[in-house]
Amino acid sequence: MSLLQRSSRRYLTRHPWLMGLSVLGVAIGVAVVVAIDLANTSASRAFQLSAETVTGTATHQVVGTGETLDDDVYRRLREAGVRPSAPVVEGYGTLRRGDRTFQVIGIDPLADAAFRPYLGTGASGDLDLGTFMTQDVALMSAPTAADLAVSSEDTLRVEIEGTTHAVAVAGLIEPRNERTRRAVANLLVVDVSTAQRLFGQDGRLSRIDLLAPSDDAARAVYLDGVRRALPDGARLQRSDTRTETVTQMTEAFDLNLTALSLLALIVGAFLIYNTMTFSIVQRRGLLGRLRALGVTRGQVFRLVLGEAAVLGLVGSALGLLLGVVLASGLVQLLAQTINDLYFVVEVSEVTVAPWTLAKGALLGLGTTLLAALPPAREATNAPVSTVLRRSTQEAALRRWAPWWAGVGVLVMGGGGLLLLGTQQSIWAGYGALFCLLVGAALLTPLAVVALASGARPLLGRLTGVIGRMAARGVVTNLSRTGVAIAALTVAIAATVGVGIMIDSFRGTVSDWLEQSLQADVYVQPPSLVFRRSTATLDSSVVRRLRAVEGVAGAYSVRRVRVQARVGPTELVAVEPGPETEDIYQFRDGRPDTAWPAVRTGASVLISEPYSYRYDLGVGDSLRLQTDRGQRPFAIRGVYYDYGSDLGVVLMSRSTYEQYYDDRGVSGLAFTAADTTSVDALIADMRASVAGLQDVLIRSNRALRETSMRVFDRTFTITTVLRLLAIAVAFIGVLTALMALALERRREMGVLRATGMTPPQVGGYLTLQSSLMGAIAGILSLPLGYVLAYVLVFVINKRSFGWTLQLSVPADVLMQALVLAVVAALLAGLYPTWRMARASPALALQDG
Amino acid sequence: MPDPSSLVQLEALTKTYREGDQDRTVLRDVSLQLDRGAFSVLMGRSGAGKSTLLNLISGIDLPTSGHVRIGGTDLTTMSETERTKFRRANIGFVFQSFNLISTLTVGENVRLPLELSGQTPRTDQDRARTMLERVGIADRADDFPDRLSGGEQQRVAVARALAHEPLLVLADEPTGNLDYETGQEVLSLLGSLVQDTDTTLLVATHDPEVLPRADRVLHLRGGVLRDEVPEYIGTSRQA
Repeated sequence: MSLLQRSSRRYLTRHPWLMGLSVLGVAIGVAVVVAIDLANTSASRAFQLSAETVTGTATHQVVGTGETLDDDVYRRLREAGVRPSAPVVEGYGTLRRGDRTFQVIGIDPLADAAFRPYLGTGASGDLDLGTFMTQDVALMSAPTAADLAVSSEDTLRVEIEGTTHAVAVAGLIEPRNERTRRAVANLLVVDVSTAQRLFGQDGRLSRIDLLAPSDDAARAVYLDGVRRALPDGARLQRSDTRTETVTQMTEAFDLNLTALSLLALIVGAFLIYNTMTFSIVQRRGLLGRLRALGVTRGQVFRLVLGEAAVLGLVGSALGLLLGVVLASGLVQLLAQTINDLYFVVEVSEVTVAPWTLAKGALLGLGTTLLAALPPAREATNAPVSTVLRRSTQEAALRRWAPWWAGVGVLVMGGGGLLLLGTQQSIWAGYGALFCLLVGAALLTPLAVVALASGARPLLGRLTGVIGRMAARGVVTNLSRTGVAIAALTVAIAATVGVGIMIDSFRGTVSDWLEQSLQADVYVQPPSLVFRRSTATLDSSVVRRLRAVEGVAGAYSVRRVRVQARVGPTELVAVEPGPETEDIYQFRDGRPDTAWPAVRTGASVLISEPYSYRYDLGVGDSLRLQTDRGQRPFAIRGVYYDYGSDLGVVLMSRSTYEQYYDDRGVSGLAFTAADTTSVDALIADMRASVAGLQDVLIRSNRALRETSMRVFDRTFTITTVLRLLAIAVAFIGVLTALMALALERRREMGVLRATGMTPPQVGGYLTLQSSLMGAIAGILSLPLGYVLAYVLVFVINKRSFGWTLQLSVPADVLMQALVLAVVAALLAGLYPTWRMARASPALALQDG
Repeated sequence: MPDPSSLVQLEALTKTYREGDQDRTVLRDVSLQLDRGAFSVLMGRSGAGKSTLLNLISGIDLPTSGHVRIGGTDLTTMSETERTKFRRANIGFVFQSFNLISTLTVGENVRLPLELSGQTPRTDQDRARTMLERVGIADRADDFPDRLSGGEQQRVAVARALAHEPLLVLADEPTGNLDYETGQEVLSLLGSLVQDTDTTLLVATHDPEVLPRADRVLHLRGGVLRDEVPEYIGTSRQA
């Protein structure tokens, strides 16, 4: 180790607190990014694995127009000589024991071995095919059975769409390797006919798996043969299409989480910048001496970057460890959110992908080095002859403050151009957000000078000379206070922005629910995906509920997934009643002409996200795959809908029945007769369906509350990320104030020597840190508002296509101010305590 | 015409600083030659431009006009990095406030210029020990500078300035922070070391006690340099 490196190392170890906090700042930043990435990867990996498990070696699939297809298609394919081919019925069920969600896959054991050999269902296996094909029995993974204390021949109680079924364990799958172990961990394998019974899909299949030849020419001929054998309403697709669709579903959601996780790292970068700048300012003399002795600028530059690299490496390493721990907590939150919003996924473990860790480490180190670049450059300018003192530096910085502010305005303007120049890119949206934050940070020094100078007379009147000194101190130490305040401002503004965004979102959804939930009672089967309830109500349940006394009106809703030319589409078929026109608020189109058209013909309405996602609007035609083949539907209106970010197509029930054979009902809405109380009606309804399918019968208010609860749950991760960003900002203020305190020991010594008591010194410092907090709080409000504006009108719009009403809640703003001042106050406690205790003689000597 | 045998040759140096809207000339048309092995003293009040002149001679700063040649090398035509490398090989410094590196031990402080000029660690250590023995504080080699008295710190600074056998040692108020006796001790140490090694020494000071040791006294007033031959010249120099 060279003497220069040794000098560096000693400097770092002599300031363990400062360095420790900086390392912690980087660590938390990296941890958050890594944790989100790991959680995302684990969830999509879990989904992919389960998709691959059920897909097996299949290269292609035949699917229907909706979720299922007639099993006659399978017969036709076999007759046409398409082999190997295997029918599949799949869905999800919850095992009462362990309250665990399982993927239930129904297969034909005689045809399946070529596709999923690891299930051991082939003729050579020891499975009793007779029992498997004729009784309600299932195979499950041996390790999972051991986990749940289930043994062969035990009976499982599986709940599917509200109905509980008894299924006996007919055998255990012994996974041959780790991959198979994970793949089959949450799988129940049943015979295809059993699955049809469990899911109430008699005569229907989820899909038919095919194995096309690998030779290109042979494959083309084969696929052509398959297509010819298919009736209308059945479609051939590559088997990986499904995974792709799912990946696309959560793309915007994942991206937003990643972007938010980067926020913690950006705040962490401010921290590193702050610490490194402090270390340079404190060592200005020392660096000047080194320069006089012949150390070149390049050597100084490398020295400082080397120190930053050490902090970055240690912080990143710690961050990776923390990230893995944090991920195991976040992954459950994330899985819950995905289950609420998109699809069923059971994530039992965190997949620690080496690439994620490498990315985290690189990001941590890169950010640290980038943040250390300006201080490193500053270090090379350390005056060699040591005549220039810090006060002149500070004066120079104050002089430059307006220039920095000018650059800040330019950077913000650049962000604005980025927004104007792009239409849909979410990354450009976040790029603009980043420009906004950096621009605001550059504006901060000037704002600090203005605000602190403005506060000086006021503080002077309130607390005398100490107050004036405190205000002046903020300005004279601008190189320290400016960065600390900028870091705190950015972090608090981010919390304000995200807070306003969530609140606006919540308010909009709440208003929308109020508007769209106008019936008195809602009935639906329990669904594993809250926002996409495609489960079917038992027809006897529907009949009985409609007949309950006190029901004045009943409207059915059918939700199915169909294939549109633009992609997989959620189709909602409703019975437009007299209130329907109030329920759906149009963004485009005229309700008075649109509804009659929708009621009577091949016309649809589309939700705002659908319109945004596929760039469709009133007057366009949407081609949907129906049981009568592909048909065009005229789009008559675009309505506001906050239920699904994937978008929805709405048609009338009569049109739906005209084009689709399905007669199922996903949900029912009832209005109570004037003479009947809603509570009494609900009680009667529950009584009427007792012993049948287990359905959720909820009042308007209960459904609204549940919806809002799910809404809040989906924002839990955002809130966690927001809190972590605040934690990093808090550490930032702590290091900044500690740095300031350490650096000003001599000044404090002079104050003590001239007669200031320790409480007065303490009061002075406390006042100063509170002032810094207050300035940060005040600056964070307008910045937070602008951030919220961009989040609501750009990021949300670009990610999900929603129009939200921006509402600025007073409590979020108050919280921001209090948070800023309290953070600064708390962060000021330790330095205040140290400073007030420091011996003036020692402090003077050290200077 | 400059004498090629001189170690330091300054030609018509002018240094002007811009302060606000005004120019302030600190040095005006300064020309000077210092012979190899000479002990020269640069006198002048605070703010007379002494430190500026030392900065120009060492290549830390560049003149507004004129040339600085050390051992025939013109520093004013070199890049910043070249000047820094030249400085670390050929010039030693002693400062008023000692300017030791607080994060290095006494021994390491003395080794630093040697390491910077690319010597092997073994040679470094031997040379540093020899230098510390010569200034009489070899026993403090492993201490950090803040544990030493002012006099001891300045001895370390002297050892560090001479460790890499520079052509020229520049001392800026080397006795300014020391009491009379300690100051005299440090001066005599510095004087004897440069004499033994035939090193050229230029001391900037306003301490008249330095004068009896000097071969030559230069006065800087209002940015103009005047050369005086001390009246005791011809008698033997105090060591």
